Amino acid sequence: MLDFIQSLSDGVLFGATYALIGIGFTLVFGVMHKLNLSYAAASVGGAYCGLLVLKVFAGAPPLAVFFCAFLAGGLLGYIVYLACFHFIPISNPLATLMATVGMLLLVDEVIVHQTDGMPLNYPALFDDVMLRAGEFTLRGDLLMVFVVSILCMAGLLALLYRTRLGLATRAVSQQAVAAQLCGIRVGQVNAMTFVITGLLGGIAGAMIGASVGTLSPLLTTPLTIKGLIVTVIGGLGSIPGAIVAGLLVGGFESVLQQYRGVTERDLYVMLLLFVFLVFRPGGLFAPKEGRD
Amino acid sequence: MKKIALKGITAAVALAFAAGGALAQEKTIKIAGFGAKSGVVRSFGINSEAAMLAAADQINKAGGVALADGSKAKIKIDYYDDRCTAEEGISVARRMAGTDALVGVGPTCSNVAEPLFGILQKKAGDASDSGLQFPIFSDVAIKGGLARISEWSFRNVPNEMTMYSSMFYWLKQKHPEMKTVFGGVEEDFAHSRATWYVVMKDRAAANGYTIAGETKWLLADTNFATQVREMKKANADVVAISAHPFSTCGVLKEMQRQGVKPKLLVGLTSTSSLETMQGCAKQAEGMMIPTSFAPVNKEGKAAADATAKFKGSADLHSMAAWENMFILKQVMESEKISGNPKDVQADRRKIRDGLAKLKVTKGLLGDTKRTEDREADKPYLFVQAKGGNWVVLHNPL
Repeated sequence: MLDFIQSLSDGVLFGATYALIGIGFTLVFGVMHKLNLSYAAASVGGAYCGLLVLKVFAGAPPLAVFFCAFLAGGLLGYIVYLACFHFIPISNPLATLMATVGMLLLVDEVIVHQTDGMPLNYPALFDDVMLRAGEFTLRGDLLMVFVVSILCMAGLLALLYRTRLGLATRAVSQQAVAAQLCGIRVGQVNAMTFVITGLLGGIAGAMIGASVGTLSPLLTTPLTIKGLIVTVIGGLGSIPGAIVAGLLVGGFESVLQQYRGVTERDLYVMLLLFVFLVFRPGGLFAPKEGRD
Repeated sequence: MKKIALKGITAAVALAFAAGGALAQEKTIKIAGFGAKSGVVRSFGINSEAAMLAAADQINKAGGVALADGSKAKIKIDYYDDRCTAEEGISVARRMAGTDALVGVGPTCSNVAEPLFGILQKKAGDASDSGLQFPIFSDVAIKGGLARISEWSFRNVPNEMTMYSSMFYWLKQKHPEMKTVFGGVEEDFAHSRATWYVVMKDRAAANGYTIAGETKWLLADTNFATQVREMKKANADVVAISAHPFSTCGVLKEMQRQGVKPKLLVGLTSTSSLETMQGCAKQAEGMMIPTSFAPVNKEGKAAADATAKFKGSADLHSMAAWENMFILKQVMESEKISGNPKDVQADRRKIRDGLAKLKVTKGLLGDTKRTEDREADKPYLFVQAKGGNWVVLHNPL
């Protein structure tokens, strides 16, 4: 039983990073009804940019690295918007989708060329802290990742539901044409959505780097897949859904690894995805049908 | 005065023509290098290319390769990126065979080498086999026994079976108090998987160790908590990690968090590189690895310095590429290749036959024995991570 609880708690805590990635996918989909497949790669790219702080100021605190990753993530988000959505006919869904696939590969290869594919040490906070209750343990750094992720989600929800920008974003996501008729600049809202998800992605990338302790371009593809799974299970366009699904996938994956081994783990995660696609295609928190 | 000037000009023109003629006659021998220059194993390709360029530069500065007609040819290296994928590797091999390159040096990954050797002619000279007749001399791909696939494939990679056998034997003598070994294996990578199941596990048991268990993870995994808990429960004296630097570092960091401190850490041969030190030097402290290269002598240091000038780093893999260049020079000279474009296929065959004849080659750590199945039995050392560097712990030879 202890093994089960331990695996579940480890997985759920780590699942917070999946939730952050899932939110990025879901927010863009919610607003623009488009998938941005380069999101996880750009998040890892933001985390790499955070390491530039250590190049300029050796011995800089981890918080400075995270903050730089946060800013770089926002910048990368804007670049992705310009390259994959702004100048590409948005009415052609395949064009934007393929553009984001291209961006995923581009970001991945840029990282590889800049680092020669070598894993880089990533700073963490509270990585030497381990909370113990008998045999049961909780990693301090993962708890920190969990808290930061929850704070980011709370901040995002506050932004969406307590600010004029959030109101505009929600309006565009519900009815872009009506929002435009009300004087909302749809292009600007779309760009801001990418910057906000990029900022969130920068934090997600940094938190993943901090929880693994090492960054590698190897992370981009698995995180893209996990992000998509979380988005589908949570419900495309649902932020609470992405949060719950991220934690669920993290916990599910960890428990299955404990009992079925690493070679079967991903098989069951994919099976879970298929179960949702067949029995609940709208995901856990399927948004209500709109007027159109 | 005018006459003297005219004679001077005539002489200069004649000299220039003579020099031009000599330049026009200067032959080049093309050697094709190939390996991963993109993707997460890019550093392997970069290092091998740098080592090959550095070795070619040294050979060329010393005059080049002596040809059958007594002339000398300079070596030119063309390096191809196979992206560490089988289909790209096969495509690169076909492209190389379509050029006037006489031999290929590569690839990086065993999952490329295995299918690639499969498209080469199995038995040299077999007219019924339409496989590629192009000699390939591997520097990096290390999975055991691959050269026997084709008589056109040769390898200069360390024999892991011998190295780990020797290491566990030495450990048993040196630390008889250590009795159990626990293995951690990166399950989805051909080399790391084969090294644990076929080499480390077998050799540890053969040297009297009890295998206390094993745990698995994947190359791109991010969470190693479950695996390290299994490791902790086993409480083995030795933890052997057969994985590449990214996941090795992830596991080592998780071991530190969970307070798992075995008496000794053993690593995969390929991990004795700069990558591990960049990712987790602190956590890798004390890790012991057998390797076929360390800059412990004058030749090794010189090779490492020369490679650094071409922006590469010297490790067991890139220095195999360096050695291959000098072995190939020796073979091309002893087999008296012509170096003429019309004789490319004949020269390739001569190089193949020459490589097959070799019994001993010169390496940076000493003589390397060549085996019947076209593999190498290279000298080796045991290195240990210390203060962010790999230092020599023991020289068993």
